[in-house]
Amino acid sequence: MQPYQKEYIANLKDISALIADRKPDGRSFAAYMEELYEHKRLIEEKIKRNMTLLRDGLFPLLDRLFEATDEELAQLEEFAAALLDGKNELDGGLFCQIHQALLSRARLTKNRNTIIEQLYWLGIGRNNMCSKMVGLDFSDSEAYMTQMRLCFGEAAAYLKYYDEIDDTRTRGYILRARANTALGAFKSASHKIRLIRQTLQILQDEDYQAKAPELPWDRYIYMTHQQMTSSISYSRENDMTPQDVAAIMESAHIVHQRRIQEALERHEAPPVKAAFSCYAIEYYCGLCTLAELLGRMEELMDSRDITDFSPDGMYAIISLPAIYCNYLQEYPEYLPKRREYLEALYRRIIAYVETFPGKKANEQIFFFLRQLSTTFIETADSISYGELQQRLLIHFAPDAYVHSQVVGKAASAFCAMIMDEEPAFFDDIDSIREITDPDAKRQQVLADAMACGAFHDVGKINFISLYSRTARQWFEEEYEIARLHTIVGSARLSAHESTRRYAAAALGHHSWYDGSHGYPDAYRRLECPCRQMVDVIGLMDWIDNGMHSSWLYGHEEKSFDQAVADAIALEGRRFSPLLTARLRDRTVVEKLRQVFESGLSQACRELYNVNAAPKSEKHG
Amino acid sequence: MEAIKGYLLIEYSECASPKILYADSNACAITGLSGEALSAADARQAVRGIDTAQIALDAAHELWILDCSQERYNAAFDRISQENRDLRDALRAAQEENLAKSSFLSSMSHDIRTPMNAIMGMTAIGLSHIDEKSRVLDCLQKIQSASNHLMSLVNDVLDMSRIASGRMSLNDEAFSLADMVHDISIIVRPQAAQKRQDLQMEIGQIYAESLIGDPLRLRQILVNIIGNAVKYTQEEGRIRVSLAQHLGEAQAADNPANEQIWLDFLCEDNGVGMSPDFLERIFVPFERVNTAAVSRIEGTGLGMSIVKNLLDRMGGRITVESEEGKGSRFCVSIPFHTALQEDRPLPEGTVLLAESLDGRAQQILDCFRDSGMETVHISSGMAAVTWLTEAQYENRMPRVLLLGQELSDMPVLEVAAHVRQLAGREFPIIWVAEIDWAQTEYRASRAGVNAFVPCPLFKSRLLSTISELTCGSQEGLDTATGQEADYSEYRLLLVEDNELNREIAMELLSLTGIQVDEAENGQRAVEAFERSPEGYYDLIFMDIQMPVLNGYEAAKKIRRLPRKDAESVWIVAMTANAFVEDIRLSKEAGMNEHCSKPVEMERLHDILRRRLKP
Repeated sequence: MQPYQKEYIANLKDISALIADRKPDGRSFAAYMEELYEHKRLIEEKIKRNMTLLRDGLFPLLDRLFEATDEELAQLEEFAAALLDGKNELDGGLFCQIHQALLSRARLTKNRNTIIEQLYWLGIGRNNMCSKMVGLDFSDSEAYMTQMRLCFGEAAAYLKYYDEIDDTRTRGYILRARANTALGAFKSASHKIRLIRQTLQILQDEDYQAKAPELPWDRYIYMTHQQMTSSISYSRENDMTPQDVAAIMESAHIVHQRRIQEALERHEAPPVKAAFSCYAIEYYCGLCTLAELLGRMEELMDSRDITDFSPDGMYAIISLPAIYCNYLQEYPEYLPKRREYLEALYRRIIAYVETFPGKKANEQIFFFLRQLSTTFIETADSISYGELQQRLLIHFAPDAYVHSQVVGKAASAFCAMIMDEEPAFFDDIDSIREITDPDAKRQQVLADAMACGAFHDVGKINFISLYSRTARQWFEEEYEIARLHTIVGSARLSAHESTRRYAAAALGHHSWYDGSHGYPDAYRRLECPCRQMVDVIGLMDWIDNGMHSSWLYGHEEKSFDQAVADAIALEGRRFSPLLTARLRDRTVVEKLRQVFESGLSQACRELYNVNAAPKSEKHG
Repeated sequence: MEAIKGYLLIEYSECASPKILYADSNACAITGLSGEALSAADARQAVRGIDTAQIALDAAHELWILDCSQERYNAAFDRISQENRDLRDALRAAQEENLAKSSFLSSMSHDIRTPMNAIMGMTAIGLSHIDEKSRVLDCLQKIQSASNHLMSLVNDVLDMSRIASGRMSLNDEAFSLADMVHDISIIVRPQAAQKRQDLQMEIGQIYAESLIGDPLRLRQILVNIIGNAVKYTQEEGRIRVSLAQHLGEAQAADNPANEQIWLDFLCEDNGVGMSPDFLERIFVPFERVNTAAVSRIEGTGLGMSIVKNLLDRMGGRITVESEEGKGSRFCVSIPFHTALQEDRPLPEGTVLLAESLDGRAQQILDCFRDSGMETVHISSGMAAVTWLTEAQYENRMPRVLLLGQELSDMPVLEVAAHVRQLAGREFPIIWVAEIDWAQTEYRASRAGVNAFVPCPLFKSRLLSTISELTCGSQEGLDTATGQEADYSEYRLLLVEDNELNREIAMELLSLTGIQVDEAENGQRAVEAFERSPEGYYDLIFMDIQMPVLNGYEAAKKIRRLPRKDAESVWIVAMTANAFVEDIRLSKEAGMNEHCSKPVEMERLHDILRRRLKP
């Protein structure tokens, strides 16, 4: 790698470490805050430096990519590999940019082998993006899945010329691309399983193997079996043919046997994931009942200690409960007897999350958490869905947590000032209009405003690395993906009784008052029954974002007064004039200024308290 | 000496004897009866034997002129009786029409009042929320919709009035049936979609797509009938429209040119249907189906009457079958003359069709029968990409890719975008689908679709689009319309310091025919622009990172030059700097858009197409 590339990577790692280091470690709040600000300063410094490194180093290279030397190209590939190495994602967006550029170059120079290789890597990059879309409707993520699949599909099409391609590496890319065409979500599980089955046939074909004996065939085949077994993660029996089930059963058996063997050799317990696949396929084949399967899952989940932060430990403690919840969602008649177990399970998960080492946080745990957030079942005595989301934000996206709290507090204060003048201002919300007692109505509005603010960004949990770990400005594609946080947040909040009333704020807080800009299209202001509240959240969110996170949005950090003045300038377009009119009142502005300042301090204090509090459960 | 005439005023009625209302003195003298006696007498008895003539005053009163011959009297009596009967019939018809008009006025006042209420109400709401732009916008949109409806009511009434007064004339002009059907589809589809109706439009045997007739009136007829089907069919109902042609009797199937051809249009639905009574009066002006199921449907009741009148004038015919509660079926046949249609040559080679809807795919494939082109049909996007990858590698690329309405595994436009990357700029991609192109054009063009062929599919439209895209010069095709684009009258300034990049860009641009001047840095670009006459350059492609003067500064300097075109010339930043901030900076420097490097052919072409529009 070139020096600027090494420095960029080092900066990314430093930034990750600084973000992860939020434990008070016995320090006072003042000292904690001081260090937090120092970290923020350091992070911003490194981000600026990274931008300079890309501008001075990478972009000029991409600019003259057609005359880049082989060495430069090799270094560029090495740099990209360090950005996304399969286990860890340091900068998936930049990884895609680089491979897109290399693919364009390969296409223009008509270099077949490079086209295949770059298609493969671009597909990998896009798959990484797709993995963040758990919980989104297929229609919202289909375009991204398709782009990923087409990269692999085109590379896999060269399988026909396998014989004449004498480069083993390229042959390997073709085979791996063929297997990867089954990655991601499909409209039909059967389609996915059919693709994996076809891949297995190809990989097990002795002709192919004989022509490239140096390729790791055993590993390819084993990974494809693994891919097959993961198709059973969610209950899809209505969507699978008997052949599908048989194919999965065979793969599950192979994977299970091998994992048991490997575990025995290492003197470890058999891995949970492989065991679950075997149990699940037995259930699908009618060899055991759902009650038995759930019982076995409970044993597997309980078998891992909550201090086990290995991939299998993460799977047992977060992903398997997500699948467990999914079964209970589909078969609610099994829930009553398992309420207590479920509640205890959630407590373990929270304890696990809260003790999870920041430095170990990676895409794998984020992926499992997305699964859990999607299938979570709320019971009367369980932790609420909202609380789970708050805990996740605190631990994995503390800046998003602080921002959400500040927005909630500011929105609540702003609503109080509005209601002083117009007590019926929020009567567009049915449940508010029905409250006849003015004090009760006011209290409810303020509580709603706080909660709407606190939850408006929960969708960011799907894109933690994008929001919290992207150590540069976003590319356009990343903006597009980040916009999905509104849709995913709204979908999650509306799926649970305790958070349903805040879903509109999550969906609409980036919309424009006049509908000319903003997103998502799914939010139609005039059709929203609580648009005034959504407008308030949107305004407070915009002001707070203007004062912070400016690097992400490519503008200078604004003062509070500047942010307010800019909001007024957008009156009638971005913001409701009914709200911005109030920002012309100095008293209102001064009160808001205080709330934004104190809110930030309070939210940081809450973060400090949560992180400083002793964790009650240290084992399962 | 002049004969004396007497006058009797008679009240005539069928159910009683004629009664004398008035008799002048001469009449008394001629009849020998007093006025009183005459008024009590039977008029016929009273004038027996006296020559009489009668003049009808109105349907119930006659003036009898006495001292006429009996023959005259009898002939006049018969004539007047007939006239009276005719008058009674006319009166009844007039009364019925009057009743219908009263009912129409009553309905119209409701129909007019409804949108007027909306207009007035929304105006009031808008005024009271004048500071809430989106609320006002919403009100204005509703006012616009209500005004449009009001306008259509008034137009119907005016049309009917024109027809009734004989002031409506038909124009004869050549028109494309394919365009007509596409236009109709765009009008009626959203209405059907709003009611989630299954509207199928099918095209049968078509002999000639270029016809001579009055397209405006034809559209009015077809839209009226399909519009009624949509109106009178419940939500999620089914409407089937088919269009075909048959040849005039004396005409041979192998020589349809410039001869009369009948256009057969069928529209059937499973809507509310009509009672036999109503069916008899369907073409009477101001009649509307009036049942509980349709009482809320607005309209003048003139539509079908207008349709019938227009068809009569066009020499066409219409039949209607309907059953209450089951649906209706309208069959229309209209004669047209055919216009000369030039067949464009088709290339040899293969057409790759990607479409998962079997019926649609078959329809498309049928168009290539006897065309000399081979067809390959694939139903999934992944299979299409695999097929094209292999074809490209084996140097047997198809002449064109036809993307259909749906693919079994992925969105059509995602496949188009990937194929554009895979196959390059020159490979023609045509989208054959039933969509509103105006709504999708931007996305489709960006994805790399060269041309659009609407469904219901017309063979000539599809084949001529392929011909335009594949035969003759392949240079500078207009991606949106499939028309050949000639950019040779335009000039572009390419500012790029890297020689190889300049070479590549020149090569890509040379395919479009555009005249290109080069500048190797920003300073040279500013000088070249300054030296050029006003309006000389239509486009500037500007690299950002360059020695001497970078792209931002160069753009700023150009914008500041004291000449009119300095403000208007379109400047495109070409850079690998892909941050959103970079895009903002280039805009702040006065550049109009941003194109990331390495530059892709399709992107360059897209900019030319959008900016230059040859």
